[in-house]
This record gives sequence, structure tokens and C-alpha cells, in this order.
Amino acid sequence: MAQDMTAREIIEKVYNRPEGNDQTSNLTMTLINKSGKERIRNIKQFTKDMGEMEKNIMFFQSPADVKNTSFMSWTYDSDKNDDQWIYLPALKKVKRISSDSKSDYFMGSDFTYDDLGNRKIDDDTHQLLREEAIDGVDYYVVESISKDEDYMYSKTITWIRKDNFIGLKKEFYDEDEELLKTLKIKKFEEISGFLIITNSEMHNVQKNHKTRMVLSNININTGISDSKFTERIMMRGL
Amino acid sequence: MKRITIILIAISFAISVKSQNVDINGFVRNYTGIQYNNGNLNMLQNTLNINFEKMGDRVAFKANPMFYLYGIDSLDFRMREIYLDLYFDNVDIRIGKQQIVWGKADGVFITDIVSPLNLSEFLLPDFDEIRIGVYAAKINYYFGNSTIEAIWKPIYAGNEFPAPGSIWFKPPEFPAPPTFDYSKENINPSLENSEVYLKYSLSSSAIDFDLMGAYTWDQTASMYTEKEFEMDSMGNPILTGLLITPDHHRLTVAGGSFTTDIKGFVLRGEAAYYNGKYLQTADPTAEGALTQKDYLHYVVGLDYGIGNLKLSAQFIQKYIMDYNDFITEEEFGNTMTFLAHYDAMRETLHLELFSYVGLNYGDALIRPKVTYDYSDSFSILLGSNIFVGDKRGMFGRYDDNSMIYTKLKYSF
Repeated sequence: MAQDMTAREIIEKVYNRPEGNDQTSNLTMTLINKSGKERIRNIKQFTKDMGEMEKNIMFFQSPADVKNTSFMSWTYDSDKNDDQWIYLPALKKVKRISSDSKSDYFMGSDFTYDDLGNRKIDDDTHQLLREEAIDGVDYYVVESISKDEDYMYSKTITWIRKDNFIGLKKEFYDEDEELLKTLKIKKFEEISGFLIITNSEMHNVQKNHKTRMVLSNININTGISDSKFTERIMMRGL
Repeated sequence: MKRITIILIAISFAISVKSQNVDINGFVRNYTGIQYNNGNLNMLQNTLNINFEKMGDRVAFKANPMFYLYGIDSLDFRMREIYLDLYFDNVDIRIGKQQIVWGKADGVFITDIVSPLNLSEFLLPDFDEIRIGVYAAKINYYFGNSTIEAIWKPIYAGNEFPAPGSIWFKPPEFPAPPTFDYSKENINPSLENSEVYLKYSLSSSAIDFDLMGAYTWDQTASMYTEKEFEMDSMGNPILTGLLITPDHHRLTVAGGSFTTDIKGFVLRGEAAYYNGKYLQTADPTAEGALTQKDYLHYVVGLDYGIGNLKLSAQFIQKYIMDYNDFITEEEFGNTMTFLAHYDAMRETLHLELFSYVGLNYGDALIRPKVTYDYSDSFSILLGSNIFVGDKRGMFGRYDDNSMIYTKLKYSF
């Protein structure tokens, strides 16, 4: 039963929580600096699980200086590096970009590509630290340590709800084992029968800046065509 | 007053189309540059760039007027692009004035030959402002991960060069006073004078590549030169003048490009074979001081990213086939480019160093710049263009033009 689950099995449940075969949504990313000043990025995104790989395409709608920029990534279940392309409207050219480092921050936010879901289960070793109840909700508390000693996080600790396997809170520790960032899931909703995280916030506690990500207009399993994830659509836009 | 009226009309038009749900964006930019060697303000430019776009499921349009105000009242208006898009299931058609960009190289033009270049400020403007829009019909056919692109360009457009009086105008040295005959400079629009371009491209996980061919005009006119002689008192001929006739010639071009990821490095390559290029020659037997040769132009580049630091290097070579020593240009023209770009402060501060290095003469253009995004819509740029090296090189010849500059840009 649940209490017999290993840490890896718990994390596997988190990583493989069903989210539908495809998803369309509007992402509002708010970057908040330590004085509270906000910068807002609006993105339309499409994601499709294609079995051995997941394809994602994003169209930047604002601010004005990045409008019509698009970004496409193909992420593989295997160890193969992601394929990534960016379309810059000023250059009128789709460029393949390097995708070696998952530790890069996404668009100046506090989320790395890994934080956004590209990390693989067996990149880390997982240990169940304890089980605890907070405000009447039961959690597994799992520590994950990278197998790569040079990884940017020495460890992460995740509070995972027992009832739905959503990692509701996650702490990221830097190479000196000091707390670097805290991720809080502020809202999740059931949409088309799937639990979707719609509001999350990453707080860099060392530099005291935050990034809030809010998903809206979410549609799941609408049958997005494979042709959506092509250079043609990157250049044409929405 | 007339110029201000044009801008006011454009703004009024923008306001009226906004109410019809036409998407409007663009920027206003101030660009001020000072030459190092004499303190002259060599650039006082204010720019208004407006994009009008309307996107439908089957039809879209774009119009991109651009206004450059130099100094107080010298206005240069350009309709950079204005076109209609038609979308079908596997086919897109674009008709109108448009910028077309081909190839994988950065900052060099190998297979990227559809849109000519505005070189009136050398290679300094942003590349989207260097390219000149062309009147063309472009058809893209998509199947699987492949695309076939066909372009018909009925109206010739050539490269633009600095005008006399510009600090970028470097007049050639003539052995005798020249006279110019511009009677062959224009190419009349006709079916016979059309240009056609064809490209096949494939985008896949392993590699992106394309193959291209073109039957085009040389976008730079060749200078057909006739010598005029008089006899001196001893009966020896003396060169007294030159009659120079800028003339255009057809070029046939075939090439391709690729890009692939190898363990985190992005490897890029691009090459084109140019058939029928007319080159200047000192061969006394050559008609018009021109000789027709083929040449190969290629680039190999490598990109790498470490966190917020992006690095890139390219080697470019131009090789003239069947070379002889009379030809004015070098047999091998070798150039390298280097780019280092670093984003800091959550991508609000951008540090960049880009340079062209001419290997034949050891000259270079070094372009450091710092950009700070004060807000999402307003950025401040401080940069410098530093020309160094041998004056025979294409960069060293401008060493008097090294400058420091600022660009203030408001995007909307």
C-alpha cells in the first residue's frame, strides 16, 4: 500500500502524474524583483506527448520587444539531449540552439529548464525523509540528490501530497547546501479530469526575487496536430 | 513640413486601423554616434518603426513602414515590407514586398542572397535593417518535415552603397579621370529579367539542412571600363580618361546549409557556388577590364552556451576558381567572426562582443556593447565600433570611422 512505496516510486508518481496527451494554455510569467517591481511575460503554449518524446512550442505575446518570438523544444524520454529552436522575428530565421545545460534559467525567471519539468527520475537518488501532516493534509517528504556532483543543486526536498501526488512545496539547496529557492504550488485545478497546477511561485531566498507562473485558458486532449510543432508555425505565429 | 505630414498620416492611419483589430507594434529609437578621431557627431538618427499585422486562419497581411530622421529634417521613408499571406493546408503563399532570409550563417551572406543589402552605413545597422525588401511571390509547400520554397522576383533590386559625402564612401583610385555611363544601370521589369530561387529544407532532430539554387542577377553591378588614349608628341599613347559603365550580369548560384547539435555544441555550415561572376582585372587583353570567373563562398561555425554566456565563432572563405594574378581581388578571402554574449541581472543587462576579423590583411571590426533593459519597453545601449588594422582590408580601411554610440529604444 501507499506506506510501502519507496521514495523512487513516490517521485515516479509525481513525474508521471497524468496531464493528458496534449495541452494548450496561456502562461503569464511575472518576474518580481526584491523591491517588488514586476515584469510580465505573456506566452501561448502548446504541448503534446508523442510517446518517446514530448513536443512543446511557445509564442511570446508580450512585452513588445519579444512579441512574435517563438521557442520550440523536443524532449526525449531517453538520455538524448533536447532539441531546441528559437525564432527571432527581427532575424526572420529559425535558429537551432544548444540545449546542453538544463540548469539554464528560463527567460530570466527563477525557474531552470529542469525546474519546469525536464528532469528525469533517475538523474537523482531519492530518499523518503518522513511523512507528516500539515493543516490536515498528509505529505511524503522526499529528498533528492543528483548523481552528478557538479549539478547546481546539492539536494532538493519535496513535500508531496499523499492523495494526489502533487509536489506542493519544494526546497532547492545550492552547492554549499544552503537554501537557494523555494517552490510553492498555490493552486491546482481539475480540468477535463486531470489535475493541473495553475499557479506556482518560485522564490529565490538568497537574492530575494520571485517568479510567479499562472496558467489560464487550459484545454486538454483537443487533438493538437503534429504539424503545430514545426518551423512553419514558429515563423507564422498564432 | 511635408515630412512631418507623412508621419502624422502614418500615425493617424495607425490609430484608425487599431480600431479594426489590426495588431500594431514597433519601436521608436534614438541613435547617436561620435567618431573617436575628431569628435564629430557622425550619427544623429531618430527612427520610427511600425508593424501593422492582421492574422486570420487563411489570410494575413503585414505592412512595415519605417521612418529614419537624420539630423533635424532629413527624412528617409522606407516601406520595408508590405505583403499578403494566403494559407492553405500544405501551402503558404506570400505576395508583395518582403524580406527573405536564407541560410544558417550569422552576419555573413552566403546563400542569403534573395534580399539585397543596404550597405550605406557599411555592416553596422541591425541585420533586419540592412536587408532590403524585394517584390516577390513566394510559395512554400510543406510535406512531413520538409519544405520546398519557390520565389519569383520580377523586379530587380540591388545592393545600396554609401553615397559620396558619406564617411563610408571610399572612392576607388583611378589612373585617369573617370566618366560614368549609367545607361545600363537599370534592369527593366519583365518576365525575361525575372529572378527565380528554389530551396528544399528539412528540419529534424538530427539535423536541419537546406539545398538551394538561384538564377539571379549579381546584386552589385560590375564596372565595365574602357580606356581613352591620346597620342603624345612622340606618338606614344597616353591614358587620358576612363569611361565606366556599371552593368549587371546574371549569376547562377547553387548551395546549401546545415545545423546540428553535437554534445551541446551547435555546428553550422553554409556554402554556395557562384557561376558567372564578373571581376575587375588588370589584364590588358580583358574586355572592359572584367573577367568572368566562378567562386566558392562558404562558412563553418560553432555555437556553445554555458549558462548565461553564449559563444560563437565562424570561419568564412571566398575562393575564386581558375585564378590569375591580374584579378584585383585576392584568390582566397578569409574572414572570421567571434561572438560572446552574456545576460545578467535576470536578463535585463546584456553584454556583447562581436567582431569580424579579416585574415588576409589582419584587420578587424570590434563591436562591444552593453544593453540595459530599464523596463520591458525601454532599453539603453552603449556601444562602440572599432576598426583596426591594415587599410587594405575591408575593415581597416574605415579606421577613421571608429565610433562610440548610444541607442535609446522604446518598444510598443
